[in-house]
Amino acid sequence: MSNNEATRTTDGTTPPTDEIEALIGSVGEQIENGQLPVSILHNEAVYEQERRRIFGRNWVFVGHETEIPEPGDYRQRYIGTDPFIFVRDENSEIQVLFNSCRHRGSKVCRSEKGNSSHFRCPYHGWTYTTSGDLVGVPQQRNAYQHLDTADHGLHEAPRVESYHGLVFAALDSNAPSLEASLGDATWYLDMYVKFIDMEVIGDPHRWEVETDWKTPAENFAGDNYHIPMGHKSAIDAGIGSDTATGEKQSDLYAIAEASGHSFSLYQIESEEPSFWGHPPEVVDGFHPERLSDEQYEVARKSGVTLGTIFPNLSFIHLGGTNTPEKESVGTFVLRQWQPKGPGRMEVWNWILAPENASDAYKERVYESGMGTFSASGNFEVDDIAIWNGITEAAGSVFAEQHGTTTNFTMGRFGDAAPERVPDWPGPGEVYVHGGLTDENQLTFYRSWYDAMQEEPDR
Amino acid sequence: MNGDTEHARRSACEEFLYHEAHLLDDRRVSEWFDLVTEDIDYRVPVRTTRERSAEDEFSDQSYHLKEDHESLRVRIERLENDFAWSENPPSRNRRFVSNVAVLGVDDAEIDVRCNLLVHRSHEDETSPDLLSAERRDTLRRTDDRLRLAARTVLLDHTVLPTNSLSIIL
Repeated sequence: MSNNEATRTTDGTTPPTDEIEALIGSVGEQIENGQLPVSILHNEAVYEQERRRIFGRNWVFVGHETEIPEPGDYRQRYIGTDPFIFVRDENSEIQVLFNSCRHRGSKVCRSEKGNSSHFRCPYHGWTYTTSGDLVGVPQQRNAYQHLDTADHGLHEAPRVESYHGLVFAALDSNAPSLEASLGDATWYLDMYVKFIDMEVIGDPHRWEVETDWKTPAENFAGDNYHIPMGHKSAIDAGIGSDTATGEKQSDLYAIAEASGHSFSLYQIESEEPSFWGHPPEVVDGFHPERLSDEQYEVARKSGVTLGTIFPNLSFIHLGGTNTPEKESVGTFVLRQWQPKGPGRMEVWNWILAPENASDAYKERVYESGMGTFSASGNFEVDDIAIWNGITEAAGSVFAEQHGTTTNFTMGRFGDAAPERVPDWPGPGEVYVHGGLTDENQLTFYRSWYDAMQEEPDR
Repeated sequence: MNGDTEHARRSACEEFLYHEAHLLDDRRVSEWFDLVTEDIDYRVPVRTTRERSAEDEFSDQSYHLKEDHESLRVRIERLENDFAWSENPPSRNRRFVSNVAVLGVDDAEIDVRCNLLVHRSHEDETSPDLLSAERRDTLRRTDDRLRLAARTVLLDHTVLPTNSLSIIL
């Protein structure tokens, strides 16, 4: 987007372009010193540019293939704040269609999910197939003979690709391939979605929160320093991961700079395989042949692992439980931090289980995921209560006037705690004692800074 | 209990529902927990926007809460911890319970339906979170009093308009 092109905000005003560019520039100037101008977490002009430069250009998660298993199955989804239909068409192909009639723009799909052979606009009745083709125009013979229906199908997201079940879309037709964009992150993602055939259980949790989408994306990128304080109440209650409760000893590896994405991996050194707490009968259904020996070994030792795929998809694969009396299970929770306005987001939260596990095991996976990370999750509720406070400070005049920054210098400038691991088998910059470094979070904000340039960097 | 008059039965249910709402509003969650049975089944299913013809808007797989006695105990224990930041400082909650109707009755249990409106505020907020729902409860006659044996909370929300569900509905 060029400088002189007016960018309209949600209230119709034009933001002061120079000031936004200066604020974005100040992130670039300070981030390598571990300082982040906090105003970017609650600023209308920044938010409006994020909608365009981040959600309008990058690959954004849309849904998991198992959410629409049958032809005609659909779910309404959003790319940034734009409405799309995530649908499996009659030929079993996955489509991501712009949810807006080509005639006057109304939503052609108004149900959150379902199964349908067609989408019919409620305004004048234009009707589309699940592939988006326009196949019905009332009064076509009398008034629309001139209309080239082949040229009036529903618009599609220009780029749609799946990475082993995780479907992403990009609004920018010039975006690099999904695999190129995930880059080094695939080495880590493979351990969850390639090694294991995962299945979404039911419908995502959705709730709206007064927190900027970047705050949880940053947190899941690798803020392992907050766990003893932020989650003390849940840990005291004996729940969550076996590593957090001290049930198992582990080393924490922070993986920064995995092509702009970040991961944290708790590794349990033991003869006994860990596999995120999945029991042997479930692990039997995994696919070691799809991993390298190095990936398999990391998976074998994995306690909790978590991460953020830029921009707004995070996950946690947690070996743990929602009550100390019940057996630990491996729970995989995908979460998307959807922008909903400056300093506001909607959380989308999916719980996944290995497809070939028993129904009883899947139920335990669900309960354990819901009891830890969801709107009622005993871990999540305390995160959000804390994050809301950041939003208030970020929106302050004081922060704007004084360029207030927040601190990302842990383990830097001579502090020895986090050690670079030279012989780690996977890609990225890897640190052991990973709870004592901010490099993962800095990776997230570097990706943000790069993505927020006026011209895409490609 | 079949011998009770319809009016007396409904009054007993109302008395129970108002009493437990009062305990929860007052943050006396441990006392509230004494009112649930050991085999409590407490659920808040996820709701989705569906076409009118769809069978059900409520999921039978996905829940905001799906609790038994043990998992409720964990939640209550956590809420009483000073480090439970979502409720310290606590949210202020007022439960409005209305439209109480007895749906069915046998010797041991009464099925009862009511409407629930929770007025919830935090810190300096002036516009409250409003949570609206129908409750389907099973109340069981025990030696000394009625207790809650099952509760399903059918929310009027697909996207929850509150920061977290760190309260009992």
